[in-house]
Formats: sequence, structure tokens, C-alpha cells
Amino acid sequence: MENIKIEATDRSPEVDFDFANNTFVLRGESYPEDVTAFYGELIGNLESHLEALDGAEVQFTFELIYFNSSTAKVLMGLFDMLDEAAGDGLSVVISWIYDEEDDTMEELGEEFAEDLENATFNMKKMQT
Amino acid sequence: MAFELFKHEGEVIEAAGSLLENPKASKAKILEQFAVLLKSYKKLFKESKRLVRMSDRNEAQLNKTAKSLDEKTQVLGALSDKLSKYLSPQVYESIFTGETAAEINTQRKKLTVFFSDIKDFTATTEGLQPEDLSFLLNDYLTKMSEIALKYGATIDKYIGDAILIFFGDPTTKGVQEDALACVQMAIEMQKRMVDLRAKWHEMGYERPFHVRIGINTGFCNVGNFGSAERMDYTIIGGEVNLAARLEGITEPDGVTIAYETYALVRDEIDAKPEKPIRVKGIQREVRPYAVQNVLAGGDDKKRFIRESDDGMRLFLDLAKMDRKQRNKTAKSLEKAAKKLRGA
Repeated sequence: MENIKIEATDRSPEVDFDFANNTFVLRGESYPEDVTAFYGELIGNLESHLEALDGAEVQFTFELIYFNSSTAKVLMGLFDMLDEAAGDGLSVVISWIYDEEDDTMEELGEEFAEDLENATFNMKKMQT
Repeated sequence: MAFELFKHEGEVIEAAGSLLENPKASKAKILEQFAVLLKSYKKLFKESKRLVRMSDRNEAQLNKTAKSLDEKTQVLGALSDKLSKYLSPQVYESIFTGETAAEINTQRKKLTVFFSDIKDFTATTEGLQPEDLSFLLNDYLTKMSEIALKYGATIDKYIGDAILIFFGDPTTKGVQEDALACVQMAIEMQKRMVDLRAKWHEMGYERPFHVRIGINTGFCNVGNFGSAERMDYTIIGGEVNLAARLEGITEPDGVTIAYETYALVRDEIDAKPEKPIRVKGIQREVRPYAVQNVLAGGDDKKRFIRESDDGMRLFLDLAKMDRKQRNKTAKSLEKAAKKLRGA
């Protein structure tokens, strides 16, 4: 599958999906006008890719400064998908990178991670 | 399957619907499916709570940011208001709307330039206390500025007791209208000075101000002069110097205009040619014109009645008295005179 690289805009995050190396990054702010239009294909491609993987190590990095409720819903779905993939035998490492002074992002990372049963989860402070 | 934001919720509803549509399923099967539904519902409920909490947090943050922005806007608005006092209103407006950029830039335009000062200001105010001098000067400048703004003038600057004003930038009504507005403004200023002299005299200021005014129309450089760090929106050129020179040869309480201005206003303004003069920086011979009847109907001698002696002070401003008031005042004076004679 072809890698996906999308530059950040005022309202949407930088996307760096490297399917060859199984490293995936979402970085920046996320409050797109149409969350389905922005994330639909990305999630679809990721889902297909994870289903086809066998015994690989997947790294997913979230480095978000701000996101709206619709994006939060997408992220929850992503966490479920990654945890399910980990449950199916893949090694999945989720990294949640947040600004040291942003209590909100820190708390949200902890909340999203609450339901993880199989994937490995790491909280990391942003490098300044 | 295409991505759907509420895919999981849809699946749970569909599963619950299927359960209800299959009443003949075994109790064990029903309980098993119900357990799955309950687990899904709990997860979705948890997600909903998470989303509501997140939404509340975002809203609180937005309100905080909005409040901070409001406060900053108020501070900036107050600051802008204060700074506007240091600029001519038209220049301020022009900068504020983006029409004029705050950068070193000038244009060549045909303007009507006004220059005034108070004759023998230093000598006249020599004996005054600083507070009195400030009061008089500020009162004078305030009243003159009110008249200037009424006529749409751009007040360039005050240089002590001198005032530099121009018409034609940043807004213009046309060269002719600008010239006429300037001369009419100058006449009104001189007429106003009559009132002011009377007022100041009554307040105890013995030596009144007498103003000289010079006006010229010509091409000047107008815009921001100075450095990038400190600039001044002003006018420069020989024609500006000419206005100042005309002011210098004007009689107190008079208005002198250049021929170029006279040519534009001759249909409305009566002016008499004076002896030609030479001005540094101007190659042509300059013929000044003295505006006539500047104080028509308003000069001191005909308007005021003043008398003072030991134990007596009389001040009448006839311009402010209608017939009824004059009759009333005359009767009061007759009464006072009768009493004096009988005493």
C-alpha cells in the first residue's frame, strides 16, 4: 500500500502513514470541517493494512495539540482498532505525546488508554 | 466497508433490533446476545461521557480565550483612542482603515496650506504664570481646532502658538472647494477670536491675542516623513514656506492669501491685491491678497461696550443681545444712573 503523507493545515493534522515500516503519526490540531471526509480513507486504508499484517510490529504516534469532539470519536475508534489488532497477534505500541504544560492532553491520553487490553501504551512529553 | 463515525453505535442498534425480531430464540441465546449488547452499551456510554467531558473542557477553554481576547481588545481600543489624540482625525482614520500605511511614503498633491500664529506671542505672554499661559494657549488651540475640524481640515501640527493646517489630503473635495473651505475657516477663526478676546479679558487677561493667517495653494509633498522608527505625517515644499511667509506679512486679525488661492475663491471671497513679495524657494514673484471685511459685523469696537473706573466695571456684548435684551439692559442702566445721581 502506498504511503500517505498529508501536510498539516489550520484545522487538520499532519498525517504520516508509512505502511512499509508500519509507523503511523498524527501530529498537530484536528478540527476539520468534515471529519468523515478527512479521516474516512485513512482509517479504511489502515484497517485493511492491519487485517493483512502477520506478526509485524506497529507503532502509532499521536502528537496532538488540540482536537474537537468529532476527532475524539475517530481517535476512540482508532484506539479500538489498534487494540483489536494487538489482540489478533500483532505487536502494537501506541505513543501519546503531549505538551508538558497541557493538562488536558495529558488527561485525554490517559482516558483513551483506559480501555486498552492488548496494545502497549506510552505517555511521552513533547521534546521542546 | 466505508468509514462511518458512528459505525459501532449503528451495529449495536442493529443487533438489538435483530434480537427483538427473533422472539423464538432460546433463553440462553437471548441472554448471551443481551450480555454482548450490554457490554457494547457500557463501552459506548463510557465514550459518551468522555466526549461530553471533553466538550465541556473545550468550551471552558474557548470561553476563557474569548474573555481574554475581549480584555485585550478593550486595552487595545483604549490605547488606540489615546494615540488617536496625537494625530489628525483624518490621518488616524486613514491609517486605521488601512488606506494609509505606516511607512515612509509621500505623494505630490495640490493642497491648500494654512499657517497661523499669534502676533508677539512671547511679549504678550511674558508676564503670565505658566498655568495661565497653558490655559490661554490650550483654550485658543482647542477653539481653533474645533473650527478646523468643522471645515474638514487636516491639522498637521501645533508649533507653540503656530498652527499648520492643510486641505486636500488624505481626503479632498476638489482643489477649489478645499481652497474655499480653508479661507472660510480662516475667516471664522478670526471672528471667533473676537469672542475669545472678550472672554479672556473678562477673566482678567489684559493683553489679548491677535492672530495672523497666511494661506497658499500649490503642489506639496505630503505623507510620512522621518525614519521607520519615528515618522510624521506632514507636508513639505516651497508652497508650505510661502503660506508661512504670507502669514508673516499679515496684519493682526487679518488673512492673507496667495494669488493661486485667490484665483480659486475670487467668486466668493473679497480680497485686495498687495505689493508683490519674493519668497526663498519660490522662483515666481508672489502677489499676496488681503481678505477684506474679515471681521465684518464682528470687530471689537462696534460689538463691545467696555468701561471701567474705580468702583465701576461695565461690559456689554451687543452681538449676544437681541432687541428685547437690549431694552431690558438699557432700563437697568437708566435705573443705575438715576440711583447714582441721587446718591
